[in-house]
Amino acid sequence: MFLNELLLPVLMVTFMLTVGAYVVAVLDRLIAGAFGAPQAGSVWLAPMARGAWLMTQHANATEAPDWQAWRLAPALYLALAAIGLAVVPWSESLVATDLVTSVVLWGSVEALATVVIFLHGWSANALLPLIGGYRYVALGLSYILISMFVLIGVALPAESLQFTQVVASQEALWNVLRQPLGLPLFLIVGLGMTFWGPLNLADSADLAGGTASEISGPPRLVWDVARAAMLVAFSGVAASAFLGGWLGPWLPGPLWMAIKMLAVLLVLLLLGRLLPRIAPERCVTLMWVVLLPLSFLDLVWAGIGALL
Amino acid sequence: MAVSWLRKLASRTQVPVFPVLGKQGDRALRYLALSPEIELVDSPRHASVLLIAGEVPADRFEPLRRVHDQLPYPFTTLWFRSEPWPHLENVPRVEKLDELPGALITAHRELMAGQRDSAPRILTDKPPNPWKGEGDFGQGGEGMMGGVPYGRPMAMNMQDDIRDGLTLDSLTFRLGPFFSAFPPGMMAEITLQGDLVQTWSTQLAPYPQSLDPVFFTARERPVPIAELELARARHHLHRLFQALRLAGLENASLDALRLAQNLSTSSTLGGLRRRLVRSGFFRLSSMEGGVLDPEQARQIGGPAARAAGLDDDLRLEDAGYRRLRFSPACQTHGNTRARWQQTLNEIDQSLHLAQQAERDEVYTSEVDRIETPRGPWSEQGPEDASPLLDEVLPGLEWGEALATVASLDVAAVVNEGGGTQTPDELRVVQGGSGNVFK
Amino acid sequence: MELLTLLFILLLSLGAGLLVQWLPMRHQPMPTYPQRAPFLGGGTPDSHAWSRYHVRYYPMTLLLIAFEMEMMFMYPWAVVFVETGMKAMMEMGMFLAILSVGIVYAWREGVFKWQ
Repeated sequence: MFLNELLLPVLMVTFMLTVGAYVVAVLDRLIAGAFGAPQAGSVWLAPMARGAWLMTQHANATEAPDWQAWRLAPALYLALAAIGLAVVPWSESLVATDLVTSVVLWGSVEALATVVIFLHGWSANALLPLIGGYRYVALGLSYILISMFVLIGVALPAESLQFTQVVASQEALWNVLRQPLGLPLFLIVGLGMTFWGPLNLADSADLAGGTASEISGPPRLVWDVARAAMLVAFSGVAASAFLGGWLGPWLPGPLWMAIKMLAVLLVLLLLGRLLPRIAPERCVTLMWVVLLPLSFLDLVWAGIGALL
Repeated sequence: MAVSWLRKLASRTQVPVFPVLGKQGDRALRYLALSPEIELVDSPRHASVLLIAGEVPADRFEPLRRVHDQLPYPFTTLWFRSEPWPHLENVPRVEKLDELPGALITAHRELMAGQRDSAPRILTDKPPNPWKGEGDFGQGGEGMMGGVPYGRPMAMNMQDDIRDGLTLDSLTFRLGPFFSAFPPGMMAEITLQGDLVQTWSTQLAPYPQSLDPVFFTARERPVPIAELELARARHHLHRLFQALRLAGLENASLDALRLAQNLSTSSTLGGLRRRLVRSGFFRLSSMEGGVLDPEQARQIGGPAARAAGLDDDLRLEDAGYRRLRFSPACQTHGNTRARWQQTLNEIDQSLHLAQQAERDEVYTSEVDRIETPRGPWSEQGPEDASPLLDEVLPGLEWGEALATVASLDVAAVVNEGGGTQTPDELRVVQGGSGNVFK
Repeated sequence: MELLTLLFILLLSLGAGLLVQWLPMRHQPMPTYPQRAPFLGGGTPDSHAWSRYHVRYYPMTLLLIAFEMEMMFMYPWAVVFVETGMKAMMEMGMFLAILSVGIVYAWREGVFKWQ
């Protein structure tokens, strides 16, 4: 019992966390190279070398940080990513934790991510991270609603708040086709949660790294790994909610899941490289005035679809 | 054993370099941006090597000391065309641009392998103000807000906000002269309310920039218009590189840089422009800020003026350009978006002019009055316009303000000509104060 | 049981995150005061950064509360939706319509602008 209920899930999540973060780093580098960033050395070794360098670099301190919060924020972000990964189903039975309310749990992970990222910016007690933190909250409060409506949309046909049920409900037709607005809207949430690419309002270049501008060494390593792992967790959720998770012909379920997650990751990383950082004010208006009504529409569409 | 293995692996990472730009140091920055083994970082906390590129004037030594001490251990420094400080022993000085990446890699590897010691701290280990640590939280005594906990006072403000009149705390600080989003050498004292600029006062003007030598030659004798226009396009592309980097379009910024590097009369801007439009650079980024009125636009001159609707261009007075049927294209809004659209149009125009001029072998006719990419140069070269930022930036959101700074070419032009020297031989302007432009 | 597993994963990953930060730092001396000064490109701040920060989007946060409350009703609604059928659809439709009017009003009032 101990083995099945505790050890296996932990091993699974650890495996996904490390491999996932590594895959994100490699993919991002490959994409950057494809778009013409100069590259040297092995793409496969680079993430490891970078991690090793961060482990040798000393951790920075600021004059009077909120020590507990400052060190806790990266670790908490990592923990949130781990929880996200734990609810991703790889097949009917291969799920780290098959909670009946896993959709709700994922929603809370999204909400807490905002808190953690703000905490990271605030606790350094330095100007540039502080601006990054507050600016991120504007984004975090905007995407959370879109995400909720879209996720409720996939819960309707499943009549359940469990990701395994959500996947099972897509046996006939994947949600990406049944609710065409869902996945594009949800991808924006993914970029927001990990403040990636166009939605990098927290750690942006105009703030010299934003919430991360004062950290170095191991805390920065944890922060970067957590961010990449969160992207993987998100792609897992997106693949389960919209791309039919483990469903697919010929290949075994977990393999299908891996392929779909990679596809989502690829799209997210591509978007990250292709789009400029959006201005915070424009971002908030866009989210509330355009994307939120669209997510209402998605919900209505999903509702009608579920009743027919 | 384990540690040495870790360090061996660490030495193989892309070398994270924090560049501190001295005079004419931006050339090194652009060179390094295209070097595959170097990663340019925005914060010294993310760096393993501090690169001092170009001569840093004496009035910026204090900030340099501060930045030097802000790199976490282990770190090392490298001085490019700049004299290392005497108390930093055994630090290498590099003169040749193509040796720079190699030297940075060596520095990082030696540091990781333990063959080189980490640089020492320069400043003494004291809090910014002495504080006693009285009170419940060691806030330094004298009431709730009077103390200086950890050597700094708490934020306090009785100033009303400029947008909604609320009285909340404002934060005053000096930013620069080594902040990557600023023109090299600029420092400003800024007061923020939230992320909104309440006041801005430029305290150190950016270093005077050197233009391509062809512009100095053009002040002495007629030069081929093709050459002049290519140099102009290159100047604008370099600025575009900085702005795109700031806007989070790293790959597009490298494209702009590569285009500038390989610029010839057969180059076209089409690909890059399409890419920028499709990425939403003009729609998603901060683009509304920094509207110049005609008076301010005239003070800056050049593309910024034409983006605000003034069709001043000294090229109109040149017989050579008249032969090419040159006429300036303008924008009307005078904001950041208009300036970038203007800049792209001017790059495009320059490339077309260069093409025509090369075919017909057209030379300039005027030597006393030429239009540089920075603005008109008649009796006097374009002067420093950074005080203008004090009027333009208040009221803007932080990202908007920095996008505006990136879109305005405010630095003066080095007046003494490089003559026929190549850019690399341009003498680094000596002298104590960065505020002296002549 | 799932919740216990989740708690276990939470504690373990949190611990790992803290351990990776703490282990290498045990023997490192406290950085000097000049190093600890906030990075401002060589500049210096007048005061600590913590302050009564002017949050420019505060009206938007109020609007959010209305929606967040609604989300609580929505989770159980989603589960029984197909059972209840068209009635549930209408109810939620009305609810959303009213909230949408709120968004439009807020937009007109400039809530999404940096005040």
